[in-house]
Amino acid sequence: MNKKIGFTCAYTPVPLIEAAGFSPFRIFPDSKAPDQAGHLLHDNLCPHVKKVLDRALADDLPELDGLIFINSCDSMRRLADAWHEAKPDDPIILVDLPSGTNSLSLDFLSKEYERLAKTLFRWNNEPFSIKKIKDKIDNWNLVAASVKKIEKKMSRDYFPGYASGLQQIINTAATESTDKALAMAQKELQPEEPAKAGLAPVFLFGNLLFDPKVFDLFEEWNVHVTASDFCTTSRFITPVDTTADDNIFRALASSYMEQTPCARTMDTAKPGDIAQKIVQRAKKSNARGVIGFTLKFCDPYLARIPMIRQALQKESIPFLMLEGDCTMGSMGQQQTRIEAFTEMLGV
Amino acid sequence: MMYDHFENAVKGITDKLNQDPEGINAKKKYVLELSKLGKKLYSEDETIAWCGVTAPFDLLGAMGITSCFVEFVGAMLSSTQTAGGFFEEAEDSGFATDSCAYHRAVMGAVLKNAMPKPDFIIGTSSPCTAGLAVMENFAHQYKKDFFILNVPQNYTQDAIKYLAAQLEDMTLFVSDHTKRPLSKEKLGIALENFNASSTLLKEIYDLAKTKPSPVDNNLLKDFSTVITLMMGTQQGVDICQAFKNELNHRIETGQHTSSKEKTRLMWIQNRIQYPFPINEMLDDLGAKIVVDELNDVTWEPMDPDNPFESIAKRMISIPFSMDTTERIKHIQTLAGEYRIDGAINPCHWGCRQGTGTRGLISKGFKDINVPVLNLEIDCVDSRNLARGQIETRVEAFLEMLS
Repeated sequence: MNKKIGFTCAYTPVPLIEAAGFSPFRIFPDSKAPDQAGHLLHDNLCPHVKKVLDRALADDLPELDGLIFINSCDSMRRLADAWHEAKPDDPIILVDLPSGTNSLSLDFLSKEYERLAKTLFRWNNEPFSIKKIKDKIDNWNLVAASVKKIEKKMSRDYFPGYASGLQQIINTAATESTDKALAMAQKELQPEEPAKAGLAPVFLFGNLLFDPKVFDLFEEWNVHVTASDFCTTSRFITPVDTTADDNIFRALASSYMEQTPCARTMDTAKPGDIAQKIVQRAKKSNARGVIGFTLKFCDPYLARIPMIRQALQKESIPFLMLEGDCTMGSMGQQQTRIEAFTEMLGV
Repeated sequence: MMYDHFENAVKGITDKLNQDPEGINAKKKYVLELSKLGKKLYSEDETIAWCGVTAPFDLLGAMGITSCFVEFVGAMLSSTQTAGGFFEEAEDSGFATDSCAYHRAVMGAVLKNAMPKPDFIIGTSSPCTAGLAVMENFAHQYKKDFFILNVPQNYTQDAIKYLAAQLEDMTLFVSDHTKRPLSKEKLGIALENFNASSTLLKEIYDLAKTKPSPVDNNLLKDFSTVITLMMGTQQGVDICQAFKNELNHRIETGQHTSSKEKTRLMWIQNRIQYPFPINEMLDDLGAKIVVDELNDVTWEPMDPDNPFESIAKRMISIPFSMDTTERIKHIQTLAGEYRIDGAINPCHWGCRQGTGTRGLISKGFKDINVPVLNLEIDCVDSRNLARGQIETRVEAFLEMLS
């Protein structure tokens, strides 16, 4: 069985994990583990972080040879703190992630990614190898290219089951291997059913939507997902522009920081740019409406919702905002609102 | 309206101080300086920067910038009981009710045009993600230039160099707006003042450790967080000196022994900002908050020959910037130094950064056998205050301690 490295944030470069000889294992908040995390943290904390910690506390995880945490938001910082307490013997590394994207920040993040890579090779007693890292990045980029092709097709036509199929590929890259995801992606490029009409084309964005079944539900509720931007969907498969810099870690840093950022990452030259990016992506994917789905207590997203709402209003793009807690149950409660929204879109 | 409020406050406090020119009156002098800052912020003829909590106010002051962290305004609105309309404005615009009320109050004030318009914004990634998100909202609303200081969590040489380089970049960003370069001489003076204030702060906190302590439940409320706004100025040094004199005077005149001190308490993070008589209640029950978690000097003196690195180290050294293990070690050290009997942790609703560590902090206290009371309370928004419940819990806690 492959040795696994656990991680929780989309700013974790999977190629570094694989280059060091590990398999990636993104810890999804998908568990029936009892709610215990609130005792170590607080109940008013992101349900993603709490559920991940619940999994650790209930031993609901495969054997992990180490954990990567990213200092991407307060909740993630607190998760790293709590993990020390819950699993004191686990090797842990916390990567400091800048909030802005200037040259100094890219330099700093490239050093952090280099520190991460060296730590991973050391954990596996493997000699550090830039070549292995570059090879794994090449492989990763093939998956990224396939995902882009699938998304392009999704934005043009509705193919039943295509969105959940894409999510399965992305989840495979996150929890098994890039190779396996690539094989799936190449197969998935051929839809099983012809394109259909009649559903409302909608762009989805938010922080966490990882369960393929959710995408099937959306289709049942008359939504044609034209594209999505979540830290668990295509944003996770960040293509790495290896030509951007001779230093591979700097190339990684600039790719992760400059491509479709999470709400917590800002371009200081364009404050509030996330709102414009969502408008552009909605238009580019031919969506008629936008649905935002965020977890409760997610400060980075919730603080930007008013500006996103304003930008969409300005472009007369209908917007539906939903909040949830990672469970399918919380999504089920949204059915009526989603169906009403698609009806309103007039398809 | 706000300008008038501060002007009246300055006038009123100055008159009172003039009536007692020989008096120490540390708290009055402190509030006077804060009111003067408020007046400057609203005067419309200053270069204004709205900032994150850990911004280098000494460095900004040396560059002629009137700067302040936005949470200060949130606290002020709450303490003057004028925040209600601003909360509603923010919530009507889509800001979540379960977000931090310091930030909701100021966002409401921005939307209602009740905040002084800044010339630029300096955000800081410490102490919290939500604070930085608000700074981005400010920049977006006011259409003003935005600079972020990323404060790394790991205290490494790379982290210090990175933050020092950002601080140097920040001075260029500020100079671009003011058309004035950083004056080494002015920075030198600011750092000298900062060091003098830091030395006095250490002395103040050492005096507070005396048993019985010369502080009262209100004297050093949120002191370290707020005094950083003026530590780089002569006024800051004078304020610190006044507090030191006040504590010495209380000890010399035996005032510290006259107040009841059955129980010595530590207060975690920030105090409750709106009028809520918890201090009086603690007084009645013989309990005294002898230390606030943030009232400490965690940095080395600033080096005028190496200012950016000094300031960077200072910013990273603040317990909130580091991981919770470090924060707990700091709390445990304070608990020993102040010989506390218990602690109160007001788990400020909506604060993921501080309150998110509730369980870990409780365990940290348990490890040193100090009981802690976790109060589930919003320290800024009083609309959902369960007053009776809070009072009962505090009473029961103090009963248990005694």
